[in-house]
Amino acid sequence: MSAGVELKDVSVTFGSFFAAKNVNVKIEGGEFFSFLGPSGCGKTTLLRAISGFQDPSEGQVLIDNKDMLGIGPNKRPTSLIFQNLALFPLMTVAENIAFSLEVRGVSKPERMKRAGELLELIALEGQGDKKVHQLSGGQKQRVAIARALAVEPKVLLLDEPLSALDLKLRQRMRTELREIQKRVNITFIYITHDQGEALTMSDRIAVMNEGELEQIGQCDDVYNNPLTPFVATFVGENNPLFGKIKDLSGDEAKIETSDGVFISSIDKSTNLNVGDEAISFVRPESLFMVKDGNDYKNKLSVKIENIEFEGNVKNFYASLYSGSKIKFSVANAIDTSEIEASSQIELCFDTSKSIILPKGALATE
Amino acid sequence: MRSSNTMNFLMGIYILVFFTYLFGPLIIMSFTAFNSAEFPAITPWECFSFRWFNEGKIAYDGQHLAGLFTDWRLHDGLISSLIIGAGVVCLSVPIGMAAAIVLTQVKSQLRDIYYSISIMPVLFPGVIIGISTVVLWDRIAGLGGGGFISDVGRNGIFLTILAQTCFISTYCFLIFVARLQRFDQTQEEAALDLGATQTQVFFKILIPYLAPAIASAAVIAFLASFENYNTTVFSILSDQTLTTVIASKVRLGISPALSALALTIIALTVIAAVTYEVLRRRQERKYIESQEEFVKEKAASSRVNKEYKARLKIPKGIVALILLVIIGSYVATQVVKNDLYGNSCIEAADIIKKSKFLDQLQTLESNQLSDEDLQGGSLGGNQDYGDIFGDPTLFQDFGGFD
Ligand SMILES: Nc1ncnc2c1ncn2[C@@H]1O[C@H](COP(=O)(O)OP(=O)(O)O)[C@@H](O)[C@H]1O
Ligand SMILES: [Mg+2]
Repeated sequence: MSAGVELKDVSVTFGSFFAAKNVNVKIEGGEFFSFLGPSGCGKTTLLRAISGFQDPSEGQVLIDNKDMLGIGPNKRPTSLIFQNLALFPLMTVAENIAFSLEVRGVSKPERMKRAGELLELIALEGQGDKKVHQLSGGQKQRVAIARALAVEPKVLLLDEPLSALDLKLRQRMRTELREIQKRVNITFIYITHDQGEALTMSDRIAVMNEGELEQIGQCDDVYNNPLTPFVATFVGENNPLFGKIKDLSGDEAKIETSDGVFISSIDKSTNLNVGDEAISFVRPESLFMVKDGNDYKNKLSVKIENIEFEGNVKNFYASLYSGSKIKFSVANAIDTSEIEASSQIELCFDTSKSIILPKGALATE
Repeated sequence: MRSSNTMNFLMGIYILVFFTYLFGPLIIMSFTAFNSAEFPAITPWECFSFRWFNEGKIAYDGQHLAGLFTDWRLHDGLISSLIIGAGVVCLSVPIGMAAAIVLTQVKSQLRDIYYSISIMPVLFPGVIIGISTVVLWDRIAGLGGGGFISDVGRNGIFLTILAQTCFISTYCFLIFVARLQRFDQTQEEAALDLGATQTQVFFKILIPYLAPAIASAAVIAFLASFENYNTTVFSILSDQTLTTVIASKVRLGISPALSALALTIIALTVIAAVTYEVLRRRQERKYIESQEEFVKEKAASSRVNKEYKARLKIPKGIVALILLVIIGSYVATQVVKNDLYGNSCIEAADIIKKSKFLDQLQTLESNQLSDEDLQGGSLGGNQDYGDIFGDPTLFQDFGGFD
C-alpha cells in the first residue's frame, strides 16, 4: 500500500526567488527518505509541492507514477505532518484522529473503532477522550502521526516533526518513528535540518542547499563520500584544508596547502586538473596523534588552543601553522591527560580518510 | 511610606468621584421610579409605589400618565426594536464574518485599502447613513410602482435594519478580524490534507473556532441596534422604536415611567453580565481542574506526589446577597411604619395636591387683569409684543404649515 514519489525538474519560485530549483529525485515505495538541509533552503516548499499545497512553477510531481497536476491536497494519497503539528484544539484526541474518516462520511462507531486501533498503535490506549491541551509534547506528536495515518495514506510527509521536543524525547521518537514506518510499511518522506535525525532514521537522504539538491544517496555513502564542499561540511563535521592540485594519479591526488602537501583520495567523477584550486576534507575523528609522524604521508603540526569534554569524546581545537583552525576528537577511553592548552603536537590522517573536492561554498552554522 | 499612604488616599478619592460620576445619575434615577409623584424626583418624596411599573396614574388635574406596563406605545416600540435587533444580527454577523475572512485572504498592499474601506461606515455620522438609506429606497420604491418593492422601500423597519446594518456589520467585522488574527491557518491546511472539502473546512474548523466571536458579535450587534437613535430616527419613517418613543416622550415632559423603564433595562443588563461572568468562571475552573488532573497524573507517574489542598473559599456573592436582604428589609419596615406605602398614602398626597391646585386656579381667576394692566402695567408682559399680530407683513414669506 505504499507508493513511490518522483520529482521531475521541479522548480518553485516566489517572484524571482527560487525556493526550489530543478529538483530531480525518485523515491521508492516503502522507503524512509529524508531531505536534509539548513533552515530556509526550501525543504518545506518541496514538501508542500508533493502534498499539493504549492503548485510547482515548473516540472512534475508524480505519485505512484501519476502526474499530480491539478489534483488538490485533499485528493492526493499523501498525508502531511506539519511543523507545528496543527492538531485541532477544539476536538478530543479521538476526534482528531478520526477527522479524516468523519469527512469521508464513515459512521461514528466505525470511526471510533479505528481511532481506538490507532491509539493502540501509538501507545495511548484509552486516552481518546482527552483534549489536545491535556497531552504532553511527545503524546501530541504521536497523535499527529496517528491522525495522519488514519487516512491510510500511501505516502506520509513529515515536516521537522521532532524539532519542538527536548533531546531525550527526540531520540526516543526517532526510534519510534522508524518502528511505526516498518509496521505500516508506507513511504515516509522526512524533512529535517538535523543531520543526526536524518542519518539515524533514513534509508536514503537528499542534502539540499539554497533550493537545489546537492547529493542523494545512502546515509553512510553521503557521510563518507560527499560530492560537494557543502555536503562535506553540513553532514557531520569536517576540517577543510585549502590548496591547489599538484598531482593526480588514479583515485588519489596530491594537494599543496600552506600547511604542507597532503595525499587524499579523489572521486573519478570530480573534474579536477593539476593546478586547480581544491579543498581536502578531514573529519575530526579521522585525525590522530602520533609521537613521531615520520612514517605517515599526511601530517600536520598544530598548537592546542582549547579542549572540550563532551562525554564520549574529547574535542580539541587547535591552530595550524598558517593560522587556520582545526578540530579533532579523541575517544574518551584513550588517555589524553598530558595534552594541555598550548601544547604543540603532531597530527596525522590516512589518505583514504580524507577526500579532495573542488573549491566551493561550505556550510556555515 | 507616608507618600504611598497619600497616594492611596488620593486614589480612593479619585475612585469614589469616578464611580459617583458614573453611577450617581443611574442610582438617583432608579429611586425616582418608586416615588409616586408625577415628576421624577426624590424630594419631595411622596409615597413608595410600584405604579410606574404598572398602571401609571390619572393625575389630580385629570392628565393620564401611563405606567410601564400599560404604555402601548412603549410596547410597540419595544417590539419594533426587538424585530430590528434580530434582523440586524442576522445580517451583520454574516456580513462582518465574510468581510473578515476575505481580509485574511488578501495578502498584497490592497489589504490596507480593503481594511480602510471596510471600517469606513463607523466613521460616517449615523444621521447621514439614515438619511441616505431613506433617499435611496425612496427612489427604488418610486421605480417599483405600487407593488411589493414600493411597500418594502417605504417600510421603516426594513429600512432601519438596512441602515443600521451598514455600520453595525463593521463592528462585527472588527470582532472577527481580532479573532482571526490568532487563527492558525495550518489548521485549515491540515484539514484539507486529511481529505476535507473547502466546505467541510469552513463548517468543521473555522466556524467552531469563530463560535465565541459569533456570540459576542451577535450580542454587540443587538445592543448597538437596540440603543441606536440617530440613524433610526430617520430611517424608521412612520414606525417607532423604543428609542424614538422615549425621545418623543421626553419632548413632552419626562415621567417616572421612563425611570422605571431605565431601571428595568439596567437590571436586565446587570443580570446578563453577572450570569455571563459566572458561566465564564465556571468554564475557567473546569479548564484549570482538567489541567490540574493532568499535572496530578504526571506527578503520580513520576512519583513526585504532591498534596492538592482544597482551600476554603468564602462565597462573596452570598455575603453580598445577605447584606442586601438585611438592608432591604430594614428599609421596607421603615416605609411601612411611617405609612409611606399604599393607597392611603397616595390618596392623602393627592388630596393635598388637588387642594393646592384648586387654590392656584382660584388665585389665577381672582387675578383677572384689566386690559389697561396688560398694555402698560408694571407687569411688563405683553406690552412690547402687543402689536405683533397686527403687522400685516409678518407672515408674508411664510409658506404655511404643511
Ligand atoms: N509563500 C512564500 N512567499 C514567499 N517566499 C516564501 C514563501 N514560502 C517560502 N518562502 C521562501 O522560500 C524559502 C524556503 O522556505 P522553506 O521551504 O520554508 O524553507 P525550510 O523549510 O527549508 O526552512 C525561504 O527563503 C522562504 O522565505
Ligand atoms: Mg520548514
